[in-house]
Amino acid sequence: MTLARVRAEGVFYLLVLPFAALTILFGLWPIILSVQVSFTASATALSPNPTWVGFANYATILSDELFLASLWRTLAYTVMAVTLNLAFALGAAMLLDGTLLKRGNMVFRLVLFLPVVTPDVAGYVVWRWLFDHSFGAVNAALDLLGLPAFGGLTTVQTATFAILIAELWHHAGFYMIIFLANLAIRDPALEEAAKMDGAGAWACFRHVILPQLRPAIVINLVYATIQFLKTFTVVVVMTKGGPAESTTFVSYLAYQYFDQARYGEATAMASVLFAIVIALSLLAYRLGERGRT
Amino acid sequence: MNRRWASLLAYLVAIPVAIAFVFPYAWMFSGAFRRTRDVLSDPLRLWPEQFDLSFLADIGRIGGVPLASYFLNSILFTLGATVVGTVAAALGAYALVRRPDLPGFRLIRSGFMLTVMYPYMLLVIPVYIVMHTLGLLGSALGIVLFLSLGPLQFFLFEQFFRAIPKEVIEAATIDGASEFQVLFRIVLPMAMPVTATVSLIAFLLNWAQWFPVLVISRGPETYTLPVALLSLNTELGASFQGIMALAVITTLPPAIVFLIAQKRVMQGMAQGAVKG
Repeated sequence: MTLARVRAEGVFYLLVLPFAALTILFGLWPIILSVQVSFTASATALSPNPTWVGFANYATILSDELFLASLWRTLAYTVMAVTLNLAFALGAAMLLDGTLLKRGNMVFRLVLFLPVVTPDVAGYVVWRWLFDHSFGAVNAALDLLGLPAFGGLTTVQTATFAILIAELWHHAGFYMIIFLANLAIRDPALEEAAKMDGAGAWACFRHVILPQLRPAIVINLVYATIQFLKTFTVVVVMTKGGPAESTTFVSYLAYQYFDQARYGEATAMASVLFAIVIALSLLAYRLGERGRT
Repeated sequence: MNRRWASLLAYLVAIPVAIAFVFPYAWMFSGAFRRTRDVLSDPLRLWPEQFDLSFLADIGRIGGVPLASYFLNSILFTLGATVVGTVAAALGAYALVRRPDLPGFRLIRSGFMLTVMYPYMLLVIPVYIVMHTLGLLGSALGIVLFLSLGPLQFFLFEQFFRAIPKEVIEAATIDGASEFQVLFRIVLPMAMPVTATVSLIAFLLNWAQWFPVLVISRGPETYTLPVALLSLNTELGASFQGIMALAVITTLPPAIVFLIAQKRVMQGMAQGAVKG
């Protein structure tokens, strides 16, 4: 009896082994190493006997103007990107949910989702050149419409806006299908009742549909917040953090420090960003849970 | 009446948005075939003046490595990571769902959740050390194993296995089937559709990966298409036409896979996300 049980349980350990091994080797181990490196002096971080410096690296980055500026920049960018992406995705989902687009519906859906499965490097490379002053179609189009030229990636005022557009193009389709999945399972009787009571289209959306979208809003909020806090690829491809550091977000700054062999500070930044990601995700889940009861 | 106006209005919004979303693809395609000076004189034109094939020479070799090598790496690493990741996620999720009570199993799941939350890009330093310690730096195996782990794959399987009624499995166990028989004769055949979905999504996600590939690589010999594109784009004096052509080659395989299996991909991605 016990032997049979041991054998039966052994099977499950065998099944979970590859998954557990991958998680430990390429997930947990690097994370532990990262935390460990953040407590050592950069010069000795990668040697077998590193010098432990306690929280010195954390103290250094918290008094580092570059880091603090990039942290605020990252938070501000995240707020803008999350708002823009979710508002756009919700609008697109509402447009697609009805029958107004008839045959155009599937095409519109595909067109908005295709960038999600397009390799981000490829998409951002194309956008980088679209914004280019001599090659770019963006300014040529604005010129054609009689609008003033767009500074694109070269001016401090417009670079953030330019990467917001490129990221919207790449990510919004994903948030859109989450909204669509939620819209598909809502209760149509509620809307009929509201219409019967004489509610207009906006009142119906605001007081009947939107409350039912709470699950999708929470999921999208968590996903988008994590996504944009980590913003990295778009910066590497399109701006290299410039102009004048206006797009140097925490991930990119940490990467630059790493490149300069400032391992301790770079990993300390990683820990800080990780803590923020976890705190914000928990907060969003809490808000979602509270709304359910 | 009212409805027709509303429909017209919907199209008036949808069409410009759709054009803005498709334009980068059209522009990329035409840029691959247009001579650079033609693009400079008329950036908006989409139909090439003539189909210029000089990009073939521009990107025949990138960083001293032939284009075919990047393409082959992309195919092999993506497929390898897809197979390893799908199998590991399927078996792992099944074991964790069936016996969450076994010692250590909750810990494995929490550990996985933690790695999902960690800012992926910032694993760079430690992953480098891990690969170095394991002797996998610069190896295809290291790249494949690192890419194989993904949250969406695991969540889709977990969700599917949770939905299987307990009675189905209990009935088989009472009939004297061993755990392996239950898995291979009952559960896995049921899981074929979700396995197909997971493989498709894993393929699309893995194809796009660039940072881990760059970090684990020792040189361009193990670069994939996105990494080659990135290094070409940062190369001084690289031709615009070549960059666009390489972007087309990088984009086309996942775009084709997606367009063939769009419904499955979109549904799967929405489901996998809802779980996480």
